[in-house]
Amino acid sequence: MRGIFLIILLVGFVAYAGLNLAESVTPYVSIAEARATSNGVQVKGLLDKNFEPVQTSDEFNFSLKDEVTGETMRVKFDGIKPDQFDEAYHIVAVGKYDAADETFHAKKLLIKCPSKYEGQKPQA
Amino acid sequence: MTGNLLLGGGLTAALATMAICFAQKIPSARLVKIIALISAAFITAASLLLWILIFENDFSVEYVATYSSTTLPTIYKISAFWAGQQGSFLLWLMIHAIIGAVLTFRRTSAAALGIYFLLQSVLVFLVLVKSPFAEHSAQVFEGVGLNPLLQDFWMAIHPPIIFVGYALLAVPFALSLGSLLTEAASRNWLEEARKWTLLAWSFLGAGIFIGGYWAYKVLGWGGYWGWDPVENSSLVPWILAAVLLHLINLARKKSAVLAQAHVAATFTYSLVIYGTFLTRSGILGDFSVHSFAGSNIGMVIALVNALVLIGGLVIILVKAKQFPQGELYKSYGESSFIVLLSCLLMIFIATIVWIGMSMPLLTQLVGQAAAVDSDFYVKSTAPIALTLAVLMIYTFVKFGRMISLGGKIAHVGFLAMLAAIVISAQGETVTQELQTRAKVSIAGHEVIYEGQVFQEDERQKFYVYNVDGEIVKALTKLRGNGEDAAREPAILKNFSGDIYIAPHAPKIDSVQELMLTKKLFAMDGEFGYVFEDAHIDYDEHNQPIQATAEITITDGEIEEVIHPLITVTPDGGSSKSIEVFNGKRRVRLTGISGDLDKARLEILPTYEKLSAMPITATISTKPFIWLLWLSVTAICIGTMLAIKS
Repeated sequence: MRGIFLIILLVGFVAYAGLNLAESVTPYVSIAEARATSNGVQVKGLLDKNFEPVQTSDEFNFSLKDEVTGETMRVKFDGIKPDQFDEAYHIVAVGKYDAADETFHAKKLLIKCPSKYEGQKPQA
Repeated sequence: MTGNLLLGGGLTAALATMAICFAQKIPSARLVKIIALISAAFITAASLLLWILIFENDFSVEYVATYSSTTLPTIYKISAFWAGQQGSFLLWLMIHAIIGAVLTFRRTSAAALGIYFLLQSVLVFLVLVKSPFAEHSAQVFEGVGLNPLLQDFWMAIHPPIIFVGYALLAVPFALSLGSLLTEAASRNWLEEARKWTLLAWSFLGAGIFIGGYWAYKVLGWGGYWGWDPVENSSLVPWILAAVLLHLINLARKKSAVLAQAHVAATFTYSLVIYGTFLTRSGILGDFSVHSFAGSNIGMVIALVNALVLIGGLVIILVKAKQFPQGELYKSYGESSFIVLLSCLLMIFIATIVWIGMSMPLLTQLVGQAAAVDSDFYVKSTAPIALTLAVLMIYTFVKFGRMISLGGKIAHVGFLAMLAAIVISAQGETVTQELQTRAKVSIAGHEVIYEGQVFQEDERQKFYVYNVDGEIVKALTKLRGNGEDAAREPAILKNFSGDIYIAPHAPKIDSVQELMLTKKLFAMDGEFGYVFEDAHIDYDEHNQPIQATAEITITDGEIEEVIHPLITVTPDGGSSKSIEVFNGKRRVRLTGISGDLDKARLEILPTYEKLSAMPITATISTKPFIWLLWLSVTAICIGTMLAIKS
């Protein structure tokens, strides 16, 4: 009886956590892979300097460039340009690609800055 | 060099303590005390040495040059000790060693001491692998300085408190394994383990809460918890330590729970090491905002982790037959059942957080790397935490008289904390661009942006707001080169909650750079510049110390001469900005070529222009957020009180 209780609880938990996980997990992909799926993904890239980022009152548009292939993709972020965006080394966009407007709809942007405090070497 | 020798002494003495404790059935208590004290003394001496190096501005030591500077205030020179990975490990080791010496004065079993000093030896080894005493390859005369974000009272005390928690969690682990090795069926270790775990839980909790408070009042993103791997890696051992605490208490009454208490002790400590591995190995470089530089230390920590977890579990399995048998609980209404069920729920929460924070690592092992959304944590843990709260209230009503005063305070604190987390998240948020004197209404409050105030020494500035007639200021600390280093929010505290105003990055006009050649005339709009002369001071090793230039600036009629000075720092360095023509121009020198022929001058926006610039700010209300700070304080104080009972 007790064993069964525990097993039910454990199975329930595993199913519950697994379902939540499947919904929340966002694989790290290249721009080409992001275009190929409508699932949530994270894309890491550089800022495409050929496209001037535009901030309107409630959305921020820019273009992301693949570090390896150089492929670019428009990104629309519902919000304000993140702090340190201009100093960003890498930009990670979390969201999904919409084939209809050929734009990646980001619900989150992570900014990777070259740290000014770690691993810096002195120069004369 | 001396530092590493001292650490070597500490390692030798720790190994000797361990050897004596393991080799002899009943070792001389006096001898153990003396060697343990010697080990702690060596390690403390090494730590003091690091502080001395920091205070003496000995930039020949890379760690000192990277995290300190001559201009750093005294309190932050103390905390620069643990600003980086190497120093943090040394701090952890020092606290571990001091606790170790204390343990030898209490009636701790020889086997438990043996385990504890084995851990101590491993920690010294870790510090030696990546030593804070490593010398610098180049010579510098000014350090980079402590990250301005870390120059805050709460951030100064946060790491030591966390590490006291980590170090203390080694005690129940050592007591558990020590007991397993000698008398597996014994429950004598539980009382001592209970006290140490309570102390550890209180400290680790306080450390986590202080970290959250710091994030809230300094980082300015509006929250206190971001589910970042660094945060999660301290949260998981804390939750598991809570499980351990409850199982220890239960095992004192019910012998059948002894096995579970042992398992919990092993898991708790191995998760302490695992968290360190995850955050310090550089493995999460792409996934955490705290990107640590990758290092070979990762493999070493992974090995230690395997040693603790597998070692602990193997010993438990080998001794499992000797564990006392008995009933866990008689009925579902019994307090033992409720406590066990609560422990299971806490393990569920810890597992969810563990999966989330380990996702990048786990997915890398099977193929494509992936991370989870921070929503995952909230969504998955909230229903479990709610169930936990219901169980807690039920226990209070039914078994309240069995709980000690400290226990009551801590549990009520926990319930209040859950409530405060939910309530404080119900505020309103507006993000808006603000001209000077612009008005914003939010949740019945009126916020007026008053403009920026610059401080003379160029190290900080304030954004000033008027909230319901009261002036609040948002501090922005500036780097030596004038960029924003730490953008703190302005917070108005009320009984009904906080009004939280966080400025965003200012729009920076592209800074114009002029490359001047000696004696040649250069123009920038209405002003002309002539680089007259320069001088670089070198030390005896031919390394530059400082550089000065003489530059004449003219508006066509009047000439002004400036003498900007650059002090060479590890990141190059630039002069302070200089205002000429009554503030109509602001310039600074950012470099002089080695042959003194060229100078680089930056034309900066004037203060007048900067002050009038519109800014973007996020304004939000945090209803009754003080309840959160109050409740977590109650958790820590209640836990401390419970030690005595």
